[in-house]
Amino acid sequence: MEALTRNLNSTILRVGSVLAGLVFWHFLATTVINDTTFLVSPIVVVATGYEMLFVNGELYPHLFASSWIFFYGFLLAIVAGVPLGFLMALSQIVRDYVNPWMTTLYTTPRIAFAPVLLLWFGVGGGAKVSIVFLGCVFPILINSYYGMRVVNREYVELARSFRLNSRALFFKILLPASVPFVLAGVRLAIGRGLTGVAIAEWFGATEGLGYLIFFAGQTLNIPTLFVGVAVFAALGIFGFEVVRRVEAYATPWKTDARGS
Amino acid sequence: MAGPVLELRNLNKEIPRPGGDPFIIFKNINLTVRDGEFVSIVGPSGCGKTTLLRVINGLMPHSGGQILIDGKSAEEVNQELLMGFVFQGASLLPWRTSLKNVLLGVEGRGQNAKDTEQRARKHLELVGLSGFENYYPHQLSGGMQQRVNLARALAVNPRILLMDEPFAALDAQTRNFMQLELLRIWRETRKTVIFVTHMIAEAILLSDRVVVFTHRPGTVRSEFQVPLPRPRTMDIKSDPRFLDLENVVWKQIEEEVNAAGGFAKL
Ligand SMILES: Nc1ncnc2c1ncn2[C@@H]1O[C@H](COP(=O)(O)OP(=O)(O)O)[C@@H](O)[C@H]1O
Ligand SMILES: [Mg+2]
Repeated sequence: MEALTRNLNSTILRVGSVLAGLVFWHFLATTVINDTTFLVSPIVVVATGYEMLFVNGELYPHLFASSWIFFYGFLLAIVAGVPLGFLMALSQIVRDYVNPWMTTLYTTPRIAFAPVLLLWFGVGGGAKVSIVFLGCVFPILINSYYGMRVVNREYVELARSFRLNSRALFFKILLPASVPFVLAGVRLAIGRGLTGVAIAEWFGATEGLGYLIFFAGQTLNIPTLFVGVAVFAALGIFGFEVVRRVEAYATPWKTDARGS
Repeated sequence: MAGPVLELRNLNKEIPRPGGDPFIIFKNINLTVRDGEFVSIVGPSGCGKTTLLRVINGLMPHSGGQILIDGKSAEEVNQELLMGFVFQGASLLPWRTSLKNVLLGVEGRGQNAKDTEQRARKHLELVGLSGFENYYPHQLSGGMQQRVNLARALAVNPRILLMDEPFAALDAQTRNFMQLELLRIWRETRKTVIFVTHMIAEAILLSDRVVVFTHRPGTVRSEFQVPLPRPRTMDIKSDPRFLDLENVVWKQIEEEVNAAGGFAKL
């Protein structure tokens, strides 16, 4: 009962916070700024969004283009990042080999790679997917590595005391113990991947949400620009929600994975 | 019931220290444990009790001496699952339910999955946890977690059960119940048990024999046969023989603590 009240209170607070922000934005746009080439009211943004979604359907090609790029880059990052992270945790040799590359690539701003990748891959999907991949792979790699490195020594001792072989040690102890960390990495990767999409479509694309925002900015079409930003935000929220559900399913022992 | 189940001969454990004398954890330990015997080891904290159990279990190498299990050297049989370890912290895997935790030591060893599951269920029942098969550790109380811990160690049908202060973290009341439960479980299974504790009354209540360790480097200071009949209940704690033994052991531990420089130094 108490928990229910707390949940309700926190829901009210969240909704209230969003509403207050929208009201503030509305007044800022209509009374203080009052220049539609600079800022428009959220009402205008919603109306434009409605039109692009349900009237002329202009949004869909951009949404699909961006979603595919994100999906491929993100998936590749998981497929490459998780096993490599685990290998790094398990083998000193792999660790020494990968570490300098990881540090260099991770700390270089990704936007610096964008022109080079576009030069190499052309403006097709390859370059864009690589930019998203570069954005996603490091949080996943680093978290997978770290998660398997910090597995409680007690559990490893337990496995040895029960004479588990190394295969069982991996599948019964190391892997499940790392899952929460891997998922935390995946969650971080969503935001970075979406940034990657925006960056990739900034350069020489002809469709996609990044392109939409860029083009709208060039033509001072503020309502469309905001719709693009809002869709990015919505995709981020959607991605987080998916990961949260995967977490609740895959790590049922973490009670905090269920609430939020 | 021929030879002893476990024999320690002049067992030592030291940890090398760079540029100094090695750090001696225990030395010259001689101990013989008979089949089906319940032996407790008591000693001041830091005297090497946990380390001794880990060395016996093969989790750590010793530095000299011999460990014989059913007459065979421990090195020879180290790969076999002959011992169940009940850890001080329950060490349950948080991603496994009670049942799956108990299965950890028995599954995937070539037996049919139904039989192993049956075996795990039977052991959860033995420790009084029927109905909690699908609970995760975080949904169980401290006492229940230790029951799962015990069931997991027993399920592998160990030759020797090693228990490291399993009830130390529990509140006094739960601890009393768990001691009674352990008496019952031992009566039903007749396992050979080596039980480490710093609580003298617990050692006497449970054991056939109490072994007192010196302060670090730990070694056997004395051994006492517990002159109390079984089955035992909590009432036995007011038996004069119980109280006498408790007193004698306490005096020895006190001496060891003082010899180590007092409690503050432990
Ligand atoms: N791997 C290790 N390296 C160095 N010192 C250790 C190691 N393991 C235990 N010790 C030390 O050995 C002593 C005995 O530890 P322990 O066996 O845990 O004692 P007890 O269980 O009797 O309290 C302690 O002083 C502890 O710090
Ligand atoms: Mg200890």
